[in-house]
Parts: sequence; structure tokens; C-alpha cells
Amino acid sequence: MSVSPTFVDMLSRRRLVQGIGTGAALLGLAGCRSAVDRDKTAPAGAAGRPRRGGTLRVATLADLTPALLFTQGPMFSIHRLVFNTLTHYAPGGLDPQPELATGWQIAPDGKAITLTLREDVVFHNGRPFTAEDVVFAVQNLQNPQRSAQLRATALAVTGFDIASPHRITLRLAHPVANIFDLFEFMVISAKESVEDAVLGRNVVGTGPFVWKTWTPGTSLVLDRNPRYWVPERPYLDAVEIRVVPQPDALIASLRSGQSHLAAGLGGRDIVPLRDDKALDLREYDQGSGNIYLGVNTSVAPLDDQRVRQALSFAVDRDRIVKQALGGYGLASAAPWPKSSPVYTDADANRYPHDPARAKALLAEAGHGGGLDLPMAFLSTAPAVAQMVQFDLARVGVQTTLEPLDPAKFQARLIAQTMPALWTGTHGFASNQPATLAVSAYPFNEARNTSKFVDPAYTEIVQRAWNQTDARSAAARVAYAELSRALLDRQFIIDLAVLTNVQPATAKLRDVRQNRYNATVLDDAYLAG
Amino acid sequence: MSGYLLRRLPSALLVLVLASFAIFAILRLIPGDPATTLAGSDPSPETVAAIRADLGLDRPFPAQYFSWIGDLLTGDPGRSYLIGGRITDLIGARFGNTLALALGALVLMLVLGPVLGVLGATARGRVPRALLSAVDSVSLTVPVFVTGVLLVLLFAVTWRLLPPGGHESIVADPVIGLQYLVLPALCLALPGSAVLARYLGDGVRQALSEDYVRTARSLGVSPRRILWRHALPNALPPVLTVLGMQVGALLGGAVVVEALFAWPGLGQLAEQGVARRDYPVVQTLLLLLVGVYVLVQLLTDIAYALLDPRVRLG
Repeated sequence: MSVSPTFVDMLSRRRLVQGIGTGAALLGLAGCRSAVDRDKTAPAGAAGRPRRGGTLRVATLADLTPALLFTQGPMFSIHRLVFNTLTHYAPGGLDPQPELATGWQIAPDGKAITLTLREDVVFHNGRPFTAEDVVFAVQNLQNPQRSAQLRATALAVTGFDIASPHRITLRLAHPVANIFDLFEFMVISAKESVEDAVLGRNVVGTGPFVWKTWTPGTSLVLDRNPRYWVPERPYLDAVEIRVVPQPDALIASLRSGQSHLAAGLGGRDIVPLRDDKALDLREYDQGSGNIYLGVNTSVAPLDDQRVRQALSFAVDRDRIVKQALGGYGLASAAPWPKSSPVYTDADANRYPHDPARAKALLAEAGHGGGLDLPMAFLSTAPAVAQMVQFDLARVGVQTTLEPLDPAKFQARLIAQTMPALWTGTHGFASNQPATLAVSAYPFNEARNTSKFVDPAYTEIVQRAWNQTDARSAAARVAYAELSRALLDRQFIIDLAVLTNVQPATAKLRDVRQNRYNATVLDDAYLAG
Repeated sequence: MSGYLLRRLPSALLVLVLASFAIFAILRLIPGDPATTLAGSDPSPETVAAIRADLGLDRPFPAQYFSWIGDLLTGDPGRSYLIGGRITDLIGARFGNTLALALGALVLMLVLGPVLGVLGATARGRVPRALLSAVDSVSLTVPVFVTGVLLVLLFAVTWRLLPPGGHESIVADPVIGLQYLVLPALCLALPGSAVLARYLGDGVRQALSEDYVRTARSLGVSPRRILWRHALPNALPPVLTVLGMQVGALLGGAVVVEALFAWPGLGQLAEQGVARRDYPVVQTLLLLLVGVYVLVQLLTDIAYALLDPRVRLG
């Protein structure tokens, strides 16, 4: 009988010692300085008080796209880290608060607003902030190449009168109800660096953090602004934003302590983190957009409002929130989050899940025998489309799903070449209602993907937009009318408001977000 | 020899020209363009049109093609539409990262494969053999996106020994850089290691059952010498062929591993470029890839010609 030698038999003692020695050396090398320990460094300080110092590490799914610096997008927003805005809304509502503008006065006819600006603000390059920078900021957003969603509102500014370096009047084409939405959206950037900024090279603002280095696809590092105009702020020494393009890896980064804050995760991604006691799941009341079922009203029989309303009754919104969003959403037929001045429970529940009523409406419209329609969806987000397909089939509307990748989806949205139905997401419902109707393309009265044209709708939108005082009784009536118009016409069938949840380590305190979901770290600190 | 080279060069150039045309055309045939991505969410058609004009995408296709080729010939393929940086810088930085990952994985594969293979071939007893076989099968069959998540859960989340992802330059800081490299390289190396182990194990097992091994044993040659001097050298040639193929697979697998471990390599750049229709980046990357293959083919032909005079005369 032959006996084969084992591997250990065959190793000489010298080789074994060499191997063990090499392994020990490698372990020693790793033990010298640990990448894990390096990521754990946190400042020390007195308990219960904000602590100064430390680097906040943010993990985000999408890298910065410099060309989209002046838009609201899916990437982690640096709008309130590197920049400031003229005003911002107080948490929980739409009450404007001073930021770079300390005061404002709206003309009685609503066609001008005079701003008083802070005099103690300097850009990161040392240049003082003046009224000329406000002029540039508005003109910058008016430039179509900046892709700013609030461009229509910026275009309503027709002229500037500079009374002094820190007092400016903006002349308006008409009363603009959402002017403070523009002021919160519009970052104040240094004119001399903006062309470099959109190439990701030299981003200069007045904000709490200074742009240090950007390595595309890897990370962005921001350092504390030592000349920040808010005394003693910010507490953090630096912010490092790392790109982690895969949700599971991003969650691992958070759970391992490599990152303090995760940006860009959806509701279902967050569910596994609910029981992690080391983490906080912070919810912000402005929501993070909406999911909707789009309807091409140029395709028969979707030109019939009754058919569109039938589809709205057919969809089970609660199930979509529960199953597709992991419970992180508000089932609602209206686009508004609960913190919106126009939100009502009645509007949110205007189309409860009622298959019988849906069938009745279809029969009334002459389609009791059923329908067969194509439905496009984003290939990266199939769950909602599949659920809508199931619900519609139960009322006799068969749909054929057509997956589109993000670039193709976007191109067809803009070109108005979507099929009869599509599922998608939209934003801009968390601010003044007029912003949704003039800035979110799906709702635009002049041109939208649904090819919906209705002079009455145009009139309602213009009435909501042309309000002198956004908080007046007249404005509230106009907003309610806009909400009713959207719910009646159903060219966009809103399904749910996405809950804005940001998982972070429990050590991270006093982080805020503005109404455009830009993270605000002025008061943030890492507790011991 | 130079005459042979001159005969081979035109066909290599022709391949490059045809490839450049095909790459350019195919990218434009895919619906969607960079302007729609650059226009952000909820854009108006006017915004998209302005961006298209700014990028020169409203020009006729031949004008765009020759403009790109002209830029390439000057050695500057331009800037990424979306990232903003120079393409040569972007590709240069990421090429080094992908190379480091692939080399790290190759080293691990060359260690793990032979160790597992030889252990499997020489293990005594059913349990050790079954265990080694199970390790081999799991490494081979479980996809990298599963092993990657498992490795992160174990080493980064549970034991907190290594970072779960990210990147640090090995050149700038070798100690920290290596720690970032270990998990992605291991994840990438596992399937290839299992393949190597399987081929090597079979080869060693077969060699150990040969007559010359039995003769060596009867002559009193030590088991160590039998393995290193007789069995392994005879088992290696087929393994080398497999290793060549696995090196190619490493580059393909790197795309997934780079995403899992937030490793900023060429795979990630290409994936993002295609998804967002960043034409200049994708065009240049694909043409570079074709160029590398053409170069390798040319070098292979030259090697054949050097070894066999009939090739260069024929």
C-alpha cells in the first residue's frame, strides 16, 4: 500500500520557520498603524456640551458631478457646507430666516424685494461678500447651462438696483410667491471661480467649510473655514465625503464605524439598520421626493380624466409604501409632505385603494372590457412598477413593462416620448406649492411629459405663483386650488411621499437639512 | 524582421481605425446623451438644448468624430463631460488602482491556489479532504458579490480588523494602503484560486500515482523531494495555461469588486461613464482597451516570428 506524503511532511523546518516569520512580519506591519483605528479617531471633550474638532466621514452612493453644482440632485449636497444662501427656512415649515441677508422688504405690488446683506462675510479666497455677488448668483441660475431647477423663478428677476454694497433691490416681472424658495436654493458662489467650480477645481463660497481636495470617484475633503461669519462655528475640523457606490458596502461602512453618516440610501436599504443601537435613523420632515405614476394624456383612452382617476383608485399605495419603501413613506395621492402648508389628510386620501370604484369608472368611460397599455420604468427601481402592474391587472388594465436605464429614461421624459404609463420620481413638493408647478418638469403647465395642456390649469398655476405674500389667506386659497387641480386631473398620479431618512452614528449631533435636503453642519459635532 | 513588422503594422492600424468608428457609432446609437444627465432632475427641454449646444453634441456626427480623433492624435482626448477632469488624468489615476488590485489578487491567487491544491492532493482522511473540497467548491461557485459582502461582514463589521472599503495609495502609505487592498484582492482572487487548486490538485494526485514516483519511494527518496522535484513540476504546465486565462478573468471581475469595495478603478469609471453617457471617457477607455489587445496581438506575432523564421518569411 502506498502512502502519499502530506503537505506538512514535505515542508522543511527552515521553510516553515520562514513562512511563519513572513506572516508575523505582515501582521506586525498591519499592527503598526491600523486603517480601522485611524478611522475611529474622535475628539475628546466635556460630556453634554458640543465638542470641537474631529473629521466627519460621510459615505455617499453617488459622486459629486461638478457640472450639476447648482442643481438639486441625487448626490450628497455640499450646498450648505461650502456655500451659504441668502435666507433659509426655519425647521418644520416655510418661515424664512436670515442668513447672508439680514432683512428684506417686499414692495406693496409684489414686484420688488429689497435685501439688506451681512457686512462681515468674506469668501474663502478672502474677498468680501457684496450685493454684486447676489446679482451674479441670480444671473448664474438664469443661465440654462447651470441646469438649475428654479431657473423659471430666477428668470422672474428682471433687474437689480444696488443702493450700497450691502443693500440691493431685485425687480420682479410679477409677484413671486416662491421667492424665498429661490433664496434657499440659490447658493452664493464667488464669481471669479465659478467656471473652475463647474469643472470641480476651485469651488469658493462663504460657507462653514472650505473645498480642499476632490479625487473623482473616491472622496471630497472639506476643511473648517477659520473665517466663518458665525462665531465659534463650525465645531468640526473637516468633512470627508467618500464615494461608496453600492448600498450594501455603504451600510457596512456605517456599521463598521468607518463612516459617521450615510447619504443616498433608500427606505428598503435602511430596514436592516433599525435594530442597530449604535446608529440613529434621522427623519427630516421635508421628505425626499415622491414616487408617481405618469400618464401620457395624448394616448387614448388616457385623455379621459375618468380613466386616469380609475387608475388612481386601482393602486394600493399603502402596500407600495410597506413593501417597496420598507415603510419609509407616506401613502398619498397628493404630492405634498405633511410639513407643506397645503397638505391635508383629505387630499392625501382622495384616492383610497378601491378596485370596485376603479372598475366602475372604467365601465362609465366605456372600457369595462379592460385595457392593454405599455408602462415604462427605471430599470434600477422595478419594485413600484411591478406592484402597480399587479394592481392595475386586478381592475382589468393589463400592462407591458418596459425597463429603461436612467439616461434613456431621462431622455424620453424630456422628449415627451414616454409610453402610455410610466413610474418615476419627482421633487420640489416640499416648498411653496408654486415651485412644484413651475420647477418640476412633470407638472409644468406649459410643457410636460404627460403632454397635458389645459388653459384652466395654466391659470391656476399662474395664480398660485403670482402671490405677493406666500403666507396670506389669498395664497392659501390659490394653493388649495392648485392641489385640487392636480388631484382632479391626475396627469401625474402621485403614489407616495418618500420619507427622508439619514442613518448616522449616534455620536453625531445637531445635523440639520434644509428644504432641498442639503445637509447643514454649522452646529454639528461628534460626541465622545 | 523590420520588414515583417512593417507588413503587420497597417492591419493593426486598420483595426484601431475601424474600432474607433464602431465605438463612436455604437455609443451614439444608445438612446440618451450626456446633456440629459447634465441637465439634472426635472430639466426643461431648453436647458437640455443649451447643454447639447455647449458640448457640441448638436454638430453633425462626422464633425464630432473627427474632432475626437483629432484630439486623440494630439495626445489629449479632452475632458469628461460629467466629472470635469482631464481624461488622461482620470484614466491614469485609475489604471494604477486597477493594476494594484489585479496584482494583489494575482499574488493571493498564486499563494492560495497552490496551497489549497497541494493540501487537497496530499491530505489524509475523509474529513480533511471533504473540508478542503468544500472550501474549493465554495470559493469557485459563490459569486464575488456574495463573498465580498461576507468578507466585509466578518473582517470589517464583526471583527473590525480591516476597513470595509475605500482606497489609500500603496505608494503613498504602504501600511494603510495594503490594509485597504487585502479584502478586495482576496475577494477577487478566490474563484481563480479555486480553479488553480483544482487543476493543481488533480495534476499532483496523478503525478503521485505514476510509476516513477513509486520507484522513487522504493529508492528511499524523501516525500518532500518527491513532491517538489518530481510531482509538482509535472503538474504545473496545464496550470500555467489556466493561470493565463484567470488573469484575464481578474480584470473582468474587478468591475464588480471595485463597486463592492468602493475601489476607484477603471471598471468603476467605465460603468459610470456608460450609465451617464459620458462619451469622451467611454470612447477613450474602450479604444485604449482595443489598443492594448492589438498591441498584445502584435507582440505575440513578433514573438512567434522570432521563434519561427518561417512566419516572418511567409
